[in-house]
Amino acid sequence: MQRMIGKRAISSLISLFGLIVLVFFLSRLTGDPSALFLPVDASEEMRQNFRELHGLNDPVLVQFGHYLGDLVRGDFGDSLRKARPALDVVLEAFVWTLQLAVITMTLVTVAAIVVGSVAAFKVGTKFDRVASLLSLIGASAPDFWIAIVAIVLFSVNLGWVPTSGTGSVWHWILPIAVLFIRPFGLILQVVRGSMLTALGSPYVKTARAKGVKNRPIIFVHTLRNAMLPVITVIGDQAAALLNGAVVVETIFGFPGVGKLMIDSILQRDFNVILAAIMVTALAIFLMNLLIDLAYALLDPRIRT
Amino acid sequence: MKPRYALAGLLLATTTAGAALAQDSEVTIVLGEELDLVEPCMSTRSNIGRVILQNISETLTELDVRGDGGVQPRLAESWEETEDGTWRFHLREGVTFSDGSSFDAEDVKHSFERTQSDQNTCEISRYYEGIDMQFEVVDDLTLDITADPAQPIMPLLMTLLTIVPSETPMEFVREPVGTGPYVLSAWNPGQDIRLELRDDYWGETPEVTAATYVFRSDEAVRAAMVETGEADIAPSISVIEADDEALDHAYPNSETTYLRLDHSVAPMDDARVREALNLAIDREAFLGTILPEGAEIATAIVPPTTIGWNPDIEPWAFDPERATELLEEAEADGVPVDTQIRLIGRTGNFPGATEVYEAIAAMLTDVGFNIDLQMVEVAEHEQYYSKPFVTDGPVIVGAQHDNSRGDPVFSMFFKYDSEGRQSGISDEKVDDLIDRATAASGDERTALWSELFAYLHDEVIADGLLFHMVGFARVAEDIDFTPTIATNSQLQLAEIGLN
Repeated sequence: MQRMIGKRAISSLISLFGLIVLVFFLSRLTGDPSALFLPVDASEEMRQNFRELHGLNDPVLVQFGHYLGDLVRGDFGDSLRKARPALDVVLEAFVWTLQLAVITMTLVTVAAIVVGSVAAFKVGTKFDRVASLLSLIGASAPDFWIAIVAIVLFSVNLGWVPTSGTGSVWHWILPIAVLFIRPFGLILQVVRGSMLTALGSPYVKTARAKGVKNRPIIFVHTLRNAMLPVITVIGDQAAALLNGAVVVETIFGFPGVGKLMIDSILQRDFNVILAAIMVTALAIFLMNLLIDLAYALLDPRIRT
Repeated sequence: MKPRYALAGLLLATTTAGAALAQDSEVTIVLGEELDLVEPCMSTRSNIGRVILQNISETLTELDVRGDGGVQPRLAESWEETEDGTWRFHLREGVTFSDGSSFDAEDVKHSFERTQSDQNTCEISRYYEGIDMQFEVVDDLTLDITADPAQPIMPLLMTLLTIVPSETPMEFVREPVGTGPYVLSAWNPGQDIRLELRDDYWGETPEVTAATYVFRSDEAVRAAMVETGEADIAPSISVIEADDEALDHAYPNSETTYLRLDHSVAPMDDARVREALNLAIDREAFLGTILPEGAEIATAIVPPTTIGWNPDIEPWAFDPERATELLEEAEADGVPVDTQIRLIGRTGNFPGATEVYEAIAAMLTDVGFNIDLQMVEVAEHEQYYSKPFVTDGPVIVGAQHDNSRGDPVFSMFFKYDSEGRQSGISDEKVDDLIDRATAASGDERTALWSELFAYLHDEVIADGLLFHMVGFARVAEDIDFTPTIATNSQLQLAEIGLN
């Protein structure tokens, strides 16, 4: 197990370094940030001063050398636009994203597993059909539309929850509800399919023949075997949320890392782009590691 | 807790919160974009200005945008031109900064020097570009400013210089100190910024005791927030959202849209082609359709409230037949009018930008132009808009320019001088008129700018001027606030009343 973690860590570090090199040079190909930071009628002298102040006049390789040197000392550089450490900017946003992702994925996982398992067990019944329809709608509905409709309905017309922002627990309801829908739809489908296969296996028939009740059949015998593909999909969906939920962040004014990343790309705020990528990449690496451990926990064959 | 009780609890909580807000005279303002900086020398940037300008940091003078009083005193009580190029400002006595230190002439000098420092990238400095300005402290409350070349509009230039204490470092600050009625009390990046009223402000005490600024990029959400009572003012929403007559106010937002033409590249080097372009566009057709009814057809790049704006210039009529004739005449003389011309528009530049440029492209194509419309994002747009221009083939750049400062000087050099960064023309008479108007004062200045506008529009046919735009603000019913032409760049809390 330790060897597996060690191997994973080394290969992830190598990928991370590759990513830094790629993003560093690609972002610098997109052009000069001074054109976006300064107004259109700023003089050449102002632009020159801006580039000089931020070390953008040096050859790109020299800039890369400086960047790596600073990085080794834990310095991710300053945000060009916000004039403060890029890592602070990213971590502030990432904390919001992490909370949103953890809460949403916990709710999604529990709900999808319970509903999906019951739907598979009662295959063909009204419950199963409604669950399938809901999951299909959830997996295919555009989240920006759902978000706006949810605001109009629940905030403007009914006045139940605030439209957007942060501050109280009520502010979290709409963003989480909107983020919940798609992964819930997807994971529900996978749970149902995987459970159907497992429920058809000989050991379930044996259990039934022994007189085991329905609940233990679903949650003790079948679920554990049906979980492997489900965990893969949960991992995928969680990784997407850790990268930031741009639409939800934009509409609900949620200060997460997704919108920060998009804004910093559009504004060529190089250090923030790099810091955001490193932080999210690290988080996704840790999550993948957890998923591997979960596999091993569920299936003893993987441990060896 | 049962859902019913949760709901009741929520309703109770919001009602009590609402009552508490009303008692304290606090307002919440929802802006479209988060502030990157809260730095006084960056307050010419729209959202930064809306928070800082005259709320935290004040200026020596201020432009009367609600009346026609011109330049008014703020931190300076009076001023006069003592000799050619030198202005003497008499500063207000008894003014203190929010850190307790008193305001004097040294602070003004330092504030200017700070904008010129190479240790920061203060945006205000662009208004003083090419002017050698010397600040001489005569005594604590008297200051001489000498400019070379002489600046007849020095009092107007001082409406832009935000004053900071002389101890302020050259680098950008995160806790701005100013003489204004409010002080920055909290800044939670990504979430909100809060200003609170000072108890030792030199001027009249405003009604609003505190303001919270929140940021939502979606216009529908900004409008909804005022509707639900979560915010009191949304200074910028789109015409589509502005559907509530009781809450929504239209205001000229000082932006002018136009098509910048590069006269050095064929076929735009031919005046007939430029005239045809102007005649081909049915400007009236946009008003009340793609663009709001309040937008005005432009005959100059600055709004009508600017000095020298020329009421005698007739907007181009819509005459597609004449446009086609002109193109045929030019073609007969060997002008390559069938060359493909790229029309560059900026996505999201203003509400309905894509539709406006699509319609213009169709109108130009109808009369015989060969137009290839390309909508690009801001960074790419900038590459087309500013010099050095892209040189592979003719390009028309659709752009929007903002001048709420009352004088054309902040626009004309950049947009029309041979050396101007976005100028597509090189005309000696234009350069000369800009130079003379910049140096002139009073009626002479007004007359020279007027002459320049007419010459550019009717004779040079410098560009394809389109519209003076309008913005929409949503203001809660219990708030007394009317947006002005300056609402794009500042939002004085002292001008907000509570009903």
